[in-house]
Amino acid sequence: MLAVAASAAIAAAQTPSASDSSCAGCHRGQARQPETPMAHALELPGANPVLAAHSTLTFHNGAYTWTVETHNNQSVYKVTDGTSTLSVPIHWSFGAQAQTWVFEQDGKFYESIVSFYPSAGNLGITTGDEQLTPQTLQEAMGRELTPMDVKLCFGCHSSDAVASHKLTLGTLHPGVTCAHCHQGALDHASDAAAGDFSTAPPRLQDLTSESLSNFCGQCHRSWETVVRNRWRGVFDVRFQPYRLANSRCFNGTDPRIGCIACHDPHKDLIRNEASYDSKCLACHAPSARPTSTGKARTCPTATSKCVSCHMPKISLPGNYLRFTDHQIRVVHPGQPFPN
Amino acid sequence: MFSLDSPRASQQARALVSQQGRNLHRVLLFGLAALGIAGALTAQTSGSSTSPPGQPTFEQLSADADSARRSGNLARASELYAQAVQINPAWPDGWWYLGQLRYGANDYAPAADAFTRYLGLVPNAAPATALRGLCEFELGEDEPSLRDLQRALSLGAAYDSRNRQILRYHEGLLLTKLGRFEEALTAYRYFAREHISNDELLLAVGLAALRIPQFPKDADPSQRDRIALAGNATFLLLSGDNPSASQAFQSFFQRYPSSANAHYTWGYLLYPTDQDAAIAEFQRELAIDPNNAIDHTMLAWALLMDSSPAEALPEAKKAAEEAPTLPMAQLSLGRALLETGDVNSATALLEKALALDPGNLEIHIALARAYSESGREDDARRERHACLRLTQPTSKPAPAMGQQGAQTAQ
Repeated sequence: MLAVAASAAIAAAQTPSASDSSCAGCHRGQARQPETPMAHALELPGANPVLAAHSTLTFHNGAYTWTVETHNNQSVYKVTDGTSTLSVPIHWSFGAQAQTWVFEQDGKFYESIVSFYPSAGNLGITTGDEQLTPQTLQEAMGRELTPMDVKLCFGCHSSDAVASHKLTLGTLHPGVTCAHCHQGALDHASDAAAGDFSTAPPRLQDLTSESLSNFCGQCHRSWETVVRNRWRGVFDVRFQPYRLANSRCFNGTDPRIGCIACHDPHKDLIRNEASYDSKCLACHAPSARPTSTGKARTCPTATSKCVSCHMPKISLPGNYLRFTDHQIRVVHPGQPFPN
Repeated sequence: MFSLDSPRASQQARALVSQQGRNLHRVLLFGLAALGIAGALTAQTSGSSTSPPGQPTFEQLSADADSARRSGNLARASELYAQAVQINPAWPDGWWYLGQLRYGANDYAPAADAFTRYLGLVPNAAPATALRGLCEFELGEDEPSLRDLQRALSLGAAYDSRNRQILRYHEGLLLTKLGRFEEALTAYRYFAREHISNDELLLAVGLAALRIPQFPKDADPSQRDRIALAGNATFLLLSGDNPSASQAFQSFFQRYPSSANAHYTWGYLLYPTDQDAAIAEFQRELAIDPNNAIDHTMLAWALLMDSSPAEALPEAKKAAEEAPTLPMAQLSLGRALLETGDVNSATALLEKALALDPGNLEIHIALARAYSESGREDDARRERHACLRLTQPTSKPAPAMGQQGAQTAQ
């Protein structure tokens, strides 16, 4: 049997960040950030509502059957070929809604081959692993991650997990906390408590749209990351900064097209399509200020629910996930996914 | 196993290529016939076969040449083919067999000339391109040889495993000699993955790993052990056996603690999967050679990719000072300046780097960002489109980091 156990030191360090509550004392407009999916990008045992709500999950594919069982806030991931079974306790659950698990064994890390998908209410093949055909039980359990993969996974889904270029799971806080984006937030909190506001972190809203796209793209995948890795195809729809930068209307110095022009990362994602109309009309209304390349065109068809046409929802093939395509465009019927 | 330095094995290698070449040649002729072009060639052949009275006709010479070749009288065949193509220079088969026979007789300059004439008639013939490349190799014409071998590879000359070994090996040797060490390691990766190795190959890999622009036969005898040890460790890493490679590198460093470039190469090969370990190796290299420009470049790049532009900037500055004509050094400095807020200086540097290496994906990426940051949206869009074109699935692979010179542009 494959046994995985996080050290007591790691477990002890993985308490919720102390910074968030102290930040919220002053930054009340952002006080609800700890409730957002980003703040729950990594869940630990005992604080995982997804698994708590699904005590038994199963999935069968080829020669293997996967099971995730949860009892008393402890979850175990199992894979069997009908003869032998491997099982590992789940310690790191990545994702607040869809969820993938990472395991450690003998200093190596593995990503689960199956994940939980809310729309299916059950397990399915992990996005990106569709082409894998496990030959052994060990391979069916998980895909081995490179050290760089591990750093990127924990670096995005948790806070304080990387210091001086090194993975430091002993200091990890699950999810995206204030200090994850606002470097120096902890020092600022203590200095501000003493009346010194000179050490406030740089204001991210002052970044250009280009810089902001790269900043958010550190986790959501920047345009250059996607290009450098030659990722092509419909799965790229997951990478919003890449898609947005491919839009004809993207302008690196126009704040009306930056990530935070439409999204407030301190709040839940707004799913009401009409609520984004004002963002589009900031450029595309007759009275709107021109862009650097001239007056933006107005839509001859509608002035509401712009995103329902110009940012279509794309379902990933063979998968349960749907994403809003951030490559803003005039969509023609039957047109292939532009990439 | 083939060997450049062993006449017997070299002949074997040539024979393999020649044999394969004939097969491909037949395929090619079949293809031409199917397209109806063979008829045109034949007509051209017939139409130009006149010879002075009393002299043998082209038809006689070509028939005699084929007959001599089939009966193993290769010297006579060579002579007859030469006479036949003098009468009818548009006869592709004549040039092809003449090239092969001259190549087999180690008569490389006339062989290369014959293949050139053949390629003038059949431009995309992979075997002839490969054989001309091998002739040029023997003649010491390194750059044309590399160009031909790589073209032959792209035309499909390496679909057979034995030919692939010959072509990849020579490609690796030439890339090393020309100072394109990272690309040489990529060429040698094929052997590591296939677990094909011998002492000479390890020496060749070692030369690339230690960035010594020589052929194995020219390696300093007193340095052969060091080079071969480095080659062995690198070969293990290329094969994906990281634990054994790590052990081999440790042994190497115990024995040769101040050997230049080994830490760099180890870091370079670790970089795609373990950035932290790579950064540590780049730093160790600088402890041995503080002026190693390519190492400063890679260290700067690794730090940039790790979102540490302030740390990257001094490294990039040193790299650019030490290697002002190295596009990657200019790129690293340009990016470091861009990401630390000096967009104007960055843009100027990146434009300079692009002039040195117009097909470099990373320079286009950085320029797209620089233009976008400065509100030059049309220029940014142009650079983004260039990047998307360069990374289309049908385009060539991106240049490896640390590659030198405009010739590495993809």
